[in-house]
Amino acid sequence: MAEPATEFPLDSAAVLAAEEHEVPIAGRSPWYLAWRRLRRNYVALFSLGVFLLIVIACALAPVYADYVAHSGPNDQHTGEQVRVNGHLRPIVGGGSYFDEKTGKFVIRDLVVVGPTWWHAGGRYVLGSDILGRDVAVRLLYGGLNSLKIGIGSALICTVLAVTLALLAGYYGGWADWIITRFFDLIWAFPVLLLAIALASALAVNGFHHFGINIEPGSLWIPTLVISYVLIPYIGRPVRGQVLSLREKEFMEAAIGQGARPLRIMFSDLLPNVASTILVFFTLIIATNILTEAGLSFLGAGVRPPNPSWGNLISSGQDQIHTAPWLAFIPGIAIVLTVLSLNIFGDGLRDALDPRAKVRMEH
Amino acid sequence: MTGKRRWTWLLGVLAMAAGFSMMIAAYGAAGTKTKTTSTKPVGTLRAVLDTIDYLDPQQAYTAQSFWAMWDVYTTLVTYRHVDGPNGFKIVPGLAASLPTVSANGRVYKFKLRKGLRYSNGKPVKASDFKYAIKREFLSTGQGVGFYTGIVGAKKFSKSLKGDIPGIKANNPKRTITIRLVSPRGDFLTILALGFAAPVPTGTPPAIQNGNIPSTGPYRISNYDPNRSFTMVRNKYFKPTKFVPRGGPNRVEVSLIGDANSAVQKVIDGQADYTNAAIPPDRIASVKSKGTLFLHPTAPANTYYIWMNTTVAPFTNVKVRQAVNYALDRKEMQRIVWGGLGRATQNVLPSTYPSYRKLNLYPHSMSKARQLLNQSGVNKSQKITVWARAVSDSEAVATYYQGVLKSMGFTNVVLNILPRTTYYTTIGNVNTKAQTGWARWLEDYPHPLDWFEVLLYGPRITAQDGNNYAYFDNKKINKEIEAVRKAPVLTPAVNAKWAKIEKQIMQQAPWAPWSNRVWPEFFSKKMSCIHVQPLFGVDWLRLCKK
Repeated sequence: MAEPATEFPLDSAAVLAAEEHEVPIAGRSPWYLAWRRLRRNYVALFSLGVFLLIVIACALAPVYADYVAHSGPNDQHTGEQVRVNGHLRPIVGGGSYFDEKTGKFVIRDLVVVGPTWWHAGGRYVLGSDILGRDVAVRLLYGGLNSLKIGIGSALICTVLAVTLALLAGYYGGWADWIITRFFDLIWAFPVLLLAIALASALAVNGFHHFGINIEPGSLWIPTLVISYVLIPYIGRPVRGQVLSLREKEFMEAAIGQGARPLRIMFSDLLPNVASTILVFFTLIIATNILTEAGLSFLGAGVRPPNPSWGNLISSGQDQIHTAPWLAFIPGIAIVLTVLSLNIFGDGLRDALDPRAKVRMEH
Repeated sequence: MTGKRRWTWLLGVLAMAAGFSMMIAAYGAAGTKTKTTSTKPVGTLRAVLDTIDYLDPQQAYTAQSFWAMWDVYTTLVTYRHVDGPNGFKIVPGLAASLPTVSANGRVYKFKLRKGLRYSNGKPVKASDFKYAIKREFLSTGQGVGFYTGIVGAKKFSKSLKGDIPGIKANNPKRTITIRLVSPRGDFLTILALGFAAPVPTGTPPAIQNGNIPSTGPYRISNYDPNRSFTMVRNKYFKPTKFVPRGGPNRVEVSLIGDANSAVQKVIDGQADYTNAAIPPDRIASVKSKGTLFLHPTAPANTYYIWMNTTVAPFTNVKVRQAVNYALDRKEMQRIVWGGLGRATQNVLPSTYPSYRKLNLYPHSMSKARQLLNQSGVNKSQKITVWARAVSDSEAVATYYQGVLKSMGFTNVVLNILPRTTYYTTIGNVNTKAQTGWARWLEDYPHPLDWFEVLLYGPRITAQDGNNYAYFDNKKINKEIEAVRKAPVLTPAVNAKWAKIEKQIMQQAPWAPWSNRVWPEFFSKKMSCIHVQPLFGVDWLRLCKK
C-alpha cells in the first residue's frame, strides 16, 4: 500500500522544488516581500525621489545662500541694484515721491525685480520681495523650516501616540478609558483652531514651565503644538490594532511564559503594528507640513522674518496682483511635497499590506 | 420701379434710418453724459475700513472708530464740518454756545440746547455728561488720563465709587459746571473728544454690541464685531449750524484688514470708498480705476520707533541716538508706503504752529556704529523688536531688525502680535518691551496731545499706557507742566513747545520716521469729497455723480 499524500515530508518538497528550478527555496521576511512589492511601484518610487530631492535642496539652503545667491534669507537690499543680462536694474525700484516744484505727489508703483532665471549670476533667480530679499533663498530656507517642523512633529507625535496606544490597547480597562477620552478631548476640537489657539497663546512669552524653556519665535512652539493636536490621528487606529492583536494566541503564549508587560508591548505588539505606524508616519508628515503652512499663514506658526512656506504665501498675497509668483511658488512647493509624500505613503501601504500580492496578481 | 430697384431703394432707406438712429443715440448718450456731471445724494454709503476697536464713545480710541463715532455721538463742543484750518475751530455741539470760562481758567460753564433727545427718544440731561465722565473711569477707557484734571476725578478713578465733585449738573436749568484742579489750555479740545459724549445715566460700563443711544446725526443699527456695522439716521437729531443732517441715509461699513481686498471691493463696485493703505506696488494702477485722494495732513500723524528707556540697552542715550542715525528715513517711505510719506525726525507733524523742523540725526550708519561702540553696551544681548500684525508695521519692524544688526547687535528677534492685543501688551509695564513700532494720530490739534500723552512721566500707567518709551525726564516734565497752563497757543507759547520738542529728541526716546500721507480711494461714482482736517473724509458731505 502506498504512503498517503498527507505524510509527504516537507524537506522532500524542498528537494523536489530545488531539482525542478535549481534554486534553493529560502524564506523571506514580510519586510523583504514588502520591499519587492514597493520596488515594482514606479509611481511611488518616483514620488519618493521627488520628496528626497526637495529635502536635499532645502538642506542645501545655506550653501545656495552663501555661494550662489550671496544673500541670506533675511538680508534686505532695497536700495541696491542687480545686473541682469548685463543691465543694471534696481532690486526695489519705482515708488511715489513728493515733487517740491509742483508741491504734489507723483504717483508711481513700487516695482520689485522679477525672476531673473539665472541671468543675474544666480542672484534673484525667483525675484525679490518688497524688502529686497531673495525669494529663492527664502523659499529654500522656508522649506527647511517647514520640513523640520513637519518631520519633527511627525516623529514626536508618532512616539507619543504609539506609546499611549500600546498602553491603552494592552492594559485595557481604566487605562484604555482614560487614554481614549484624552484622544476624544483633542479630537473634539477642530485641529487647526486648536493649533492656532495654542500657538497664539505661546507666541507672546514662550513656554517656561516644568523646567522647559522655549522662547517665543522658536520653531519648537509650532513643532510641539502640531505634535500635540495630531496625536489621536495615529493613536486611535494603532490602539484599535493593538486591541485586536491582544486577543491573539501569541499574546497568550507570551503572557503565559511570564513576559513582563513592557517587553510584551515593545517586543511582541510593536513589531506587529510597525507597518501601520510606518504608513501613518509617512502620511502624517504631509499633514503636519500642511498644518504648519496653515499656522504660519495665519501668523501663529513660524514668526517673521524667518521664512516658512506658509508665511511666504501670506506675505506674497500682498503683491498678488503685481508679483503673483511670490505667493504661487511656495504654494507649488507645498503641493509637490505633500503630493509626493501622499503618493509614496499610498504605495507604502499597498506594499505592506499582505493581501497586496493577491491583488497584484489578479 | 423694377423689383430689383425697389429692393435696392428699400435697403438704402433702411440703412439711412439705421444711421440716423445711431446718430440720435450718440447724441442722446452725449447729452446724458453732460447731465451726469450734476450730483445726487448717496443713499447708502458703502465704506470699507480697517478694524475698529469699539463703537462705545467712552472706549473707542482708534482713528477709524473716532471718524465713525464723530457722526454718531456729539459732544458738548465739537468741530466744524468744513475743510481747511477752519475745521480745527471748536464750536458748540450739544451746548447752546461755547462755555463761559472763569478768569483763572479753572471753571467752565455750559448750557445744553433745548429739546435734545437720544436716538431712543429719551431726553438728554445735564447729569448724563457727568455720568459719561464717570463711565470713562468705570470702563477703564483709554481716555481716563484726559479727565483726571477735573476736581475729584483722580480720587474717583482710584475708588470708582462716589461722586466727582468737580462736575455740577443742574437738569432743570440744563447747566453743567466743570471745575479743574489747575487751568489747561487744551481743555475745550479734551471736551470735544468722543470720551466726553453724554450717554444715558446708568448705561453699563462695558457694552460690546454698539447699542448705546446716540446724539449725533446717525445711530448704530447693527454691529457685527470685526466684520461690519451699519449707521442709519437718528430721527431725533436736530441739525444745527455746525452739525448738519448728513447726506447718506445709511452707512454700511465693512471691516476688512487686508488692503488688497478692501481696494478691490471698491474697484469691483461692491463698495464706494476705503481708506485702506493701498499696496505700494499697485497704487498707480489703482488710481486709474477710481478716485485716489491723498491728504497729507488729515489726520495729522507721526509714525515712530519707541525705545524703552527703562530696559537695556535703551537705557543708554547713545544707543537711542545711534538708532536715530542708523535709520534711512527716505528709504523707509519708499519701502513701507511706496513713497507716500514724508520723512521726519519730529514728534509733532508739520501742521502744528509750534513745529520747527529738526534734523538732529542725518542718516549715517558709520556714526551710528561709532555711537554704539562708545556706549559700551553688550552687543550680543537679545533685543526683541515688537510690531503689530499689519503689513506696514511688519515691514518697518523687519527693516529695523536689519538696521540693528547692521549697527552691530547680533541677537535681534521680532515679536509680531495680533492687532487687537498689540497696544495693550506694549503698554503694560510688566511686558518690559524693549523697542518697537508705533504711530500716533492726533486726538485734537494741540501739542499737549503729543507731549503730555506720549512723553510725560507722570502720565505713565502700569497698564494701557501710551508712553511706550517710559520716558520720564523730570526737567522736561516741569517744562510741559509750565506750558500746559497757557490758554492760547501764541507764538511765544509755540516757541516753548518747539524747545521742549528739541530737548526730547536730543534724549531720543523715539526715532520718528514718517508723517504718512493718507490715501483714500473712492469709486468713480463718488463726488463731493471734502476733508475735515481732524476727521478725514467727511461722510456727511459725500454725494454721487
